[in-house]
Amino acid sequence: MTALAAQLERWRQQSGAVRIQPAAQAVIAPLASGSAAIELDHLRRLLGLRLRSTASQTAVDGDLPGSELAPGLRYVERHLDLGPADAVLYTDIAGFEHIDPPRLLHFDTETTGLSGGTGTRAFMIGVADWRDDRLRIRQLYLATMAAESAMLETFASWLRPEHILVSYNGRCYDAPLLATRYRLARMHNPLAALRHLDLLFPVRRRYRGVWENCRLATIERQLLGVLREDDLPGSEAPRAWRSYLTRGDARDLRRVLAHNDQDVISLAQLLRRLAIAAP
Amino acid sequence: MSAIQSELTLSDRGLPRMQGADAAQLGAALQRKYAERITGHSVQPARSADYRPLPESLPAALRRALQARGINQLYSHQAEAWDAVGRGADVVVVTPTASGKSLCYTLPVVASAMTQSTRALYLFPTKALAQDQVTELLELNRAGDLGLRAHTFDGDTPGDARQAIRLHGTVVVSNPDMLHQGILPHHTKWAQFFENLRYIVIDEIHSYRGVFGSHLVNVLRRLRRVCAFYGSTPQFILCSATIGNPKAHAEALIEREVTAITRSGAPHGERHVLLWNPPVCNPDLGLRASARSQSNRIARLAVRAGLKTLVFAQSRLMVEVLTKYLKDVFDHDPRKPARIRAYRGGYLPGERRAAERAMRSGEVDAVVSTSALELGVDIGSLDVVVLNGYPGSIAATWQRFGRAGRRQQPALGILVASSDPLDQYLIRHPEFFSGAAPEHARLHADQPLILLDHIRCAAFELPFHDGDGFGSDAIDPFLQVLAESGVLHHEGTRWEWIADSYPANAVSLRSVADGNFVVVDRSEGRQTIIAEVDYSAAALTLYEGAIHMIQAQPYQVERLDWEGRKAFVTRTHVDYYTDAIDYSRLKVLAQFEGCVAGAGSALHGEVHVVRRVSGYKKIRYYSHENIGYGPVNLPDQELHTTAIWWQLPQSVLDAGFSSRQDALDGFLGAAYALHLVATVAVMAEARDLQKSVGSADGAWFAAADGRGRGQLRAIDGGLADPRDVPGFIPTVYLYDNYPGGVGLSDPLWRRQGELVVQARALIEGCACRAGCPACVGPILAADEAALDTPRALALRVLNLLFVP
Repeated sequence: MTALAAQLERWRQQSGAVRIQPAAQAVIAPLASGSAAIELDHLRRLLGLRLRSTASQTAVDGDLPGSELAPGLRYVERHLDLGPADAVLYTDIAGFEHIDPPRLLHFDTETTGLSGGTGTRAFMIGVADWRDDRLRIRQLYLATMAAESAMLETFASWLRPEHILVSYNGRCYDAPLLATRYRLARMHNPLAALRHLDLLFPVRRRYRGVWENCRLATIERQLLGVLREDDLPGSEAPRAWRSYLTRGDARDLRRVLAHNDQDVISLAQLLRRLAIAAP
Repeated sequence: MSAIQSELTLSDRGLPRMQGADAAQLGAALQRKYAERITGHSVQPARSADYRPLPESLPAALRRALQARGINQLYSHQAEAWDAVGRGADVVVVTPTASGKSLCYTLPVVASAMTQSTRALYLFPTKALAQDQVTELLELNRAGDLGLRAHTFDGDTPGDARQAIRLHGTVVVSNPDMLHQGILPHHTKWAQFFENLRYIVIDEIHSYRGVFGSHLVNVLRRLRRVCAFYGSTPQFILCSATIGNPKAHAEALIEREVTAITRSGAPHGERHVLLWNPPVCNPDLGLRASARSQSNRIARLAVRAGLKTLVFAQSRLMVEVLTKYLKDVFDHDPRKPARIRAYRGGYLPGERRAAERAMRSGEVDAVVSTSALELGVDIGSLDVVVLNGYPGSIAATWQRFGRAGRRQQPALGILVASSDPLDQYLIRHPEFFSGAAPEHARLHADQPLILLDHIRCAAFELPFHDGDGFGSDAIDPFLQVLAESGVLHHEGTRWEWIADSYPANAVSLRSVADGNFVVVDRSEGRQTIIAEVDYSAAALTLYEGAIHMIQAQPYQVERLDWEGRKAFVTRTHVDYYTDAIDYSRLKVLAQFEGCVAGAGSALHGEVHVVRRVSGYKKIRYYSHENIGYGPVNLPDQELHTTAIWWQLPQSVLDAGFSSRQDALDGFLGAAYALHLVATVAVMAEARDLQKSVGSADGAWFAAADGRGRGQLRAIDGGLADPRDVPGFIPTVYLYDNYPGGVGLSDPLWRRQGELVVQARALIEGCACRAGCPACVGPILAADEAALDTPRALALRVLNLLFVP
């Protein structure tokens, strides 16, 4: 097997493949047998992988916020006072009429990659909705891969037929990605039947050319005056999650939680703002 | 030079005016005029059709559609296919070009779609074939108003059409590359399609051999995994041109038992085949006129006679050279539409479609093509096919000849042998083309590198579980290697994809890796990509200074960005082309098996090969004189692969040869003959099997110096004297030219004794006195008179290796 690994790498080079730089944190799950461990050490050397020293492993900060809903599935909830939500809204945005704020379900996912396809999954789903004039923020995230089904089930259980989804680019990104995950988990896709208000489109219509781009962070800053501190860019989320999964290091994963939390709050505020801006 | 001159001044006079003749008459005229060049002639008599009635079980609307298209009965093989598919068998249909193969799968697919709303996936090796197929299906659909939705789905399909095709396409016509990169990694979007997938049709399966075939087996493994996820087990209908092992090959591809239907009921016209050996122009050295000059002449005669002609050349370069020569004759008036066209891979799709259209409409009189036209691209009917050089296999030879004579008229196929020893060997054994079954398609699905690539892609599509197989074996070690490189995560019993990447994009089915080079035209400030070149061919064709031909237009490579996989070229006007000079050396890494072979030994094992392109020659058009050299500075190409080799101990050599130089020349000649017979014996593509002579310890290697004399070089490439090297143990290697090997050295090892016998017989049976390109390779005039001729030296080596 060691010979196999070494040869595979050699052949890859000879066939014109560009050398893969293995991620430094990529370390295989521990194996039971001692002799196998020796084999794997050899393998790691051959493939240029480095095992993190035990010392740094004990120092890893693996503290995960929230509670455990199911094995490996974490849940975080908080409430935020943003002033009462108006009941009369949004006619301008997508032909919606008067919508009761409790019907709105703002959501955003964090994913393991941006390349799409069946190998990309959501490891975090953040949802914000209005409860008694306060914004309730609920977040689900995975501490193990096996908890994905539980996460999808829980999220589905939050959805009601009267809900209207609110997202930023969710029509093209988050919703299809979740549809794939539900399909792979052999579950019914609860999003398919719901109305979906993707704020990217009205924002683009109104502000294209006004600011440098229509990314949520830009719109947030310009329209809502939100400035994020110590924000982990969304593109860093996949790495942060893998760090936790493979090394148990939760520091960046907590920053992803904060980022996602701000995203769904901004969604709720943006929708109010867009509605007020409507003539 | 005198030989070339006389060849050029020979005219077409002396042939009767051929205007309006048919292909058979042209063949007869050529035989009369060039009797001494024709080493074999065969005629396949015209054959009448074997018809069967339309099956009773055909849905009525489909029957009406067929009748509306003028199909009132089936050929026997179409009826057999209908019955076998109806029984639930996986089927392979093996019949010649233009025998109505597509109806074999159209009938069951359409019938099942109409009665049970099932769906089908068609795979063709090229986009052009896919388009032809959809056109055919839509015509049938219109004829009977069948409610069929047939679409191509490939890289050219617009984004807004894709969703509709996924949801509603009855027949989705695609190619293996698109299945691999565009469909399987997004299978959830195709859920309804996979749930209802009833038939998978794969046409032209003979083209899936070697590397491409090995990739396809793995793509099909992935496809079956995905189908199983959606609860479907589709049935396979495969089609193939004539190969020696259609059933075995089909079974190797889909890894299931297959029913073969091999007897064609389609009629065909009389087909004449001529084997043509260019005339000897230097009898002393056994040198012949070039195949190119002969093919050019034959094509000219055919076009003048008003016959639609297709010339197949072996390389893109030769396509361009021949196109230029024919254009010089027929297309000198730029105001008239072009009568001659080139067709090959590396052109952009639009250009290829335009060429296909021009050929179909009959605007073009002759096409010069690489193997790109070997497959069933619809280019209308042709009369004459000229093969400039042996295509590398008997099957490909017939496949190419089959391009002519689609309208049941007489057809003419001419194989012009090149100076390549394999060509010379075969052209003088016409029995290879008459009696012998075409070769066996081979593949090596578990080639570790290919397997690793597809396990990676498969893990992206659906997670693996401990102990899962992929193909036959448990693949846990591969999964562990992938986990080590951070691609997979092992949790519980599952191996899940965790990387932020899309692995299928990094795996090309057509080449060894995603290392293709793009050719960028920078003439007059442009920045246009005008071609793509495989990684394996890049070092030989894209070095700085190379003349790169595209539609007979020369471009010069100005800069090669090896790491970035780009070659920057500008349009140029020169009267020469370039040819790379390369050499290789080997070192044995591991020995698997060995045995005594005569006074020496034969071995089988793993070797390390280093190939270097050291420079290039500039060769002037027409005269083909060498007008200069240029240096090339490229990284060495390294290769770990498997090989077999033979060696003789120093004591035996000292006793048997008067000098080490003699022994070395003997080994080079023996290598030449062994390579030749081995290529035929295992039916390899010539480029997949390579030969080399070197020291057993890799300390030196030998190459013929272009005039047949062995030169010994040290590791740094410098010349060395055989008398000076310590431990002189020359070794003949035959190696598999692919990283990791594609399974050629095993069958060679099993037949190693036989190969020595055949190589000996080849040399002994050769008509030359001292050695020639058909046995031991080209030799010097001076060697003619030598006491120990290269031929005798090679025979001595083989005799020493011979086991009585």
